Amino acid sequence: MGRARPVFLNLLQIRFPVGAIASIGHRISGVLLVLMLPFAVLALDRSLRGEASFAIAGWMRLPAALLAWAAAHHLFAGIRHLLTDVGIGASLPAARASAYAALLAAGAVGLLFLVS
Amino acid sequence: MNLLSGQRAFVVQRLSALVLLAFVAAGAARLAFGSPVTLAQWQAWAAQPFAAAALLVLSAALFAHAWVGVRDVLLDYVRPFALRLSLLAAAAAGLLLLAAWTALVLVSHAL
Repeated sequence: MGRARPVFLNLLQIRFPVGAIASIGHRISGVLLVLMLPFAVLALDRSLRGEASFAIAGWMRLPAALLAWAAAHHLFAGIRHLLTDVGIGASLPAARASAYAALLAAGAVGLLFLVS
Repeated sequence: MNLLSGQRAFVVQRLSALVLLAFVAAGAARLAFGSPVTLAQWQAWAAQPFAAAALLVLSAALFAHAWVGVRDVLLDYVRPFALRLSLLAAAAAGLLLLAAWTALVLVSHAL
């Protein structure tokens, strides 16, 4: 491990390809979803006991939209990864196009939750 | 295929993803094409044995998938061995507790 290699890891200056953004988004959304699991189980418990209220309070709008984005992005980017696993859309142009599609579709879902 | 290597995590992750995808597709289709679901309908549906069993399969896939994801993230980013081991143990304990709670909620509702 002797030689010192040049290291450049300023994340604000490295320009990421769109596939990398879709990929790290998949990871970030996954972590968000895991952190929400306790609340999901609580909501399941409440809904089966009949105490459920599906109304979203005003201050909840932004977190709810963020959560909707996370679920949508994790779903779309996950489908993209599964398809790539079996060789569908694995070429660079196709992979770039599907990365844009996943990012845009998940963003649209998040926005939809924000405005509706 | 050596299922005791990292390949096992890979296979569990992909298989659970497919199970989750099937449930999401079924749920989305029901909400999109069926009549609106009332709280009473949801509770009556979840009380049926086959529905409770399906929801248990869903939660098993969900928690298995969550575990592989958390495990991957911790193995990638947490390098100090003691910290890595503690976080992995905490995540495993937390997910197991949540999975047990979910099973309890589903089974007690169906009984």
